[in-house]
Amino acid sequence: MSTEPRPVSNIRGQGVSMPSNNQPARPADPTSKRGWSEIAIDRVWRFFCSVRAAIWEIAFLALLVLIGTLRGSSVPRLIADRAPITEPLVARWYSWDVFHSFLFMAVLALLSVAIAIGGMINRAPGIWNAIAHPTVATSHGFLHSARPAAELKASVPVSEIVQGLTTALKERRYRVLTESRGDEVHLYADRNRFSKLGTFPFHMALILILLGGIVGARFGFRETEFIVPEGEARPVLNGTDLSIRLDRFEDRYTEDGSPAEYTSHLTVLDDGKAVAQEAITVNHPLTYNDVVVYQASFGQAVQLRVTDPGGNLIYDGAVELGLYRASENPDAPAGVLSLPDAGVTLSIIAPDEAPLNQPESDLLRLADQQIYVKARYNDIVAGEQSPDAVLNARQTADLGRIQVEFVRETRFTLLQVARNPGIPIFVIASILLVGGLAITFYFPHRRLRGIIQPGGGGSSSVARLAPVAKRDWSGQKDFRRLLRELSTRLPYASVSVSEASESGHGGGSPIPPTGSLARPDSR
Amino acid sequence: MEALVKLSFYSFTATTIAIAGASLCYIALAVGRVRFRMATMRMSDGSTVARPTSELTRTPDSLGSFATMLAWFGLVFQALAILFRVLASGSAPSNMYEFSLVFVFAITLIYLLFERAYGIKQLGAIVMPIALGMALYVWLLPVEMREVNPLIPALQNQPLMTAHVSLAIFAYAAFAVSFAAAVFFLIAQRWRVSWLPSAEMLDDIAYRAVTIGFPMMALVLILGSVWAYQAWGAYWSWDPKETSALFLWLVYGVYLHTRSLRGWRGTRSAVILILGFAAVIFTYYGNYFFGGLHAYGGV
Ligand code: HEM
Repeated sequence: MSTEPRPVSNIRGQGVSMPSNNQPARPADPTSKRGWSEIAIDRVWRFFCSVRAAIWEIAFLALLVLIGTLRGSSVPRLIADRAPITEPLVARWYSWDVFHSFLFMAVLALLSVAIAIGGMINRAPGIWNAIAHPTVATSHGFLHSARPAAELKASVPVSEIVQGLTTALKERRYRVLTESRGDEVHLYADRNRFSKLGTFPFHMALILILLGGIVGARFGFRETEFIVPEGEARPVLNGTDLSIRLDRFEDRYTEDGSPAEYTSHLTVLDDGKAVAQEAITVNHPLTYNDVVVYQASFGQAVQLRVTDPGGNLIYDGAVELGLYRASENPDAPAGVLSLPDAGVTLSIIAPDEAPLNQPESDLLRLADQQIYVKARYNDIVAGEQSPDAVLNARQTADLGRIQVEFVRETRFTLLQVARNPGIPIFVIASILLVGGLAITFYFPHRRLRGIIQPGGGGSSSVARLAPVAKRDWSGQKDFRRLLRELSTRLPYASVSVSEASESGHGGGSPIPPTGSLARPDSR
Repeated sequence: MEALVKLSFYSFTATTIAIAGASLCYIALAVGRVRFRMATMRMSDGSTVARPTSELTRTPDSLGSFATMLAWFGLVFQALAILFRVLASGSAPSNMYEFSLVFVFAITLIYLLFERAYGIKQLGAIVMPIALGMALYVWLLPVEMREVNPLIPALQNQPLMTAHVSLAIFAYAAFAVSFAAAVFFLIAQRWRVSWLPSAEMLDDIAYRAVTIGFPMMALVLILGSVWAYQAWGAYWSWDPKETSALFLWLVYGVYLHTRSLRGWRGTRSAVILILGFAAVIFTYYGNYFFGGLHAYGGV
């Protein structure tokens, strides 16, 4: 075994191998007397540090995500069709809102703690040590059994070959540390040593993303059906003093009658004062402070003037249609206007948009440009008829205690109004996430160790070098390339390389089936 | 314009033929050549018997060069097919037909880059047939999709959409390479086949491919939510297409952890990569199972 001088303690039974430089934050000492609470805390801490547990946690999260994903697909249906026994299970599957379930939240919470402890805190000291104070001393055993390994022989004194290697390695952006031990010099060299730090911004980003979600849900809002008829202003509420007015609505259609583009000309009012004015379309929202207004859809509206018999104005504005269905014609867009002060609620129905479709259910048979209005008084006596009328544009009807004028047809716009204070957190998280991954993956930490010793005869010396790259094919390849460069830089040295004998392709012993893979020797 | 659409289609036809040829050569290369010969055996009574035996031997390298050449042909023609298509529509790829064209291109490109970097050709026996399968899928799409159509308003956010989708496709292509490496890893571990790359190299290829695909997939999720935020005001709405991409990403996250764990690195890592690629296929063809925001023009 080519174990290196300082064996790294392994976290008990959890097979955490790699943190080559991973000192458990609480070293286990079975002989010391500890209270049960201490043992329990220790257990919990170890659980959160365990990469094995992390694998299962992430896998479990993935499983939940898969279950939730399939719920939005026809897959469970297909399963139930194949195996009718599963029918009740499939029914529950479709009704389980995984992503808003307690279980899902609990798993996310558990993961955040594990990421913070196992992915970051517990590893920080070890990683920092490996960067700042790596062990320089190594063993002959390691250098003899490591594959590939190189031997440089030269008839120059030890100090000179050390000097030559150091200069050559530094040119290759390696950091070189040496330590004298008797007549030997031990050498440690590495490059991209900060690569190992990339894991911190990355794992941090995962926590930030969850945090951003919480902040957004807790302190933000999202109105998905914010309706403003043309000419009207509606309050945003949700802790703001804003309201949004639709000054004008434009829609253009393609030849086949489907909407090609639509634009809402909006004014944002803050506490009644106009503070922003902008035309928005789908994909081009308006932003005022941190409130974002999106164009979602639009619909038909009517403008009405309601007066009492004395001629006093009760209502002058638009009523959106299409949000209700009326029994008089379920296919036609209908709207409701409540006038509590007058004790009346108006139902308004527009002509059927597709009159040929189910004509029998249309009891009104309105012509184009007509509307039907019905007034329901709050104090109506059972059995009494509510007054109603069919109106053309600019006509007025007398509906008992009120008069209703149909001024004209207009549009309403359907907006989404949202504020999400989590967004800046996401932006930071995204940068950390991608940046962290890039540092970890694209600037791999490369390490090599060596011993330079006098080689028998007077002023000759031998340098043995080996990469710390067990089972790391790319690392071994880089070492071979580095050796070629070293041999041109040190022409006085004769270089021989020992490769693993077993494999003819690219060197290195093949990875054994399972088990015994990771050893804490890679320090 | 009509002519360009046709030209694009002809180039794609050439690609299909080239990668079909390449697939066959790569498969022959990986499987090796079956040699039949008569072996004489001395029986216990002293007589000799001749009987036919077969053995696998290495196929000549010239076949490999031929395979590589065909794959490069396919790549060039596919680049032309996409270029003509973009010129014809005046916009970046935007429906399942066009995405699949890009997919064929991406798989071939990423594969060829790995082939060059590692100097091995066996992975082509799995990756090129995947590219071929994708090309054949394009042939099965309804003919109307070969025409150029306008987009629905919400999808008209070209730069973001192009980045989002093409990153996804390149990530999937990288995952296809890691899938192939994982399959060969399992083979190399079970049987000693002298001309297959070492398990260690295959492990490295798989890992490298994931280090390309995983950050790309992270960007796909990020850009997707930026786009959703701009279009719908919600950066994440647990839409099945989003969550299936998240699932995929988590699977590869699991894989990256297994690499540092005794007893997991190796066989189990390879199995996870195979599962991961199944998830890739599911995500790509998810539109056949899901409704929702991601039901792009046509599919
Ligand atoms: C459950 C909590 C988690 C713990 C304890 C944890 C721990 C670790 C550790 C110790 C490593 C280093 C492995 C090495 O040095 O080779 C690592 C790497 C990695 N982890 Fe996690 N992790 C957790 C969650 C996650 C999640 C949810 C993801 C996202 C899918 C993730 C993605 C990664 C990636 C991509 C790497 C490789 C790159 C790097 O070293 O930063 N981890 N993790």
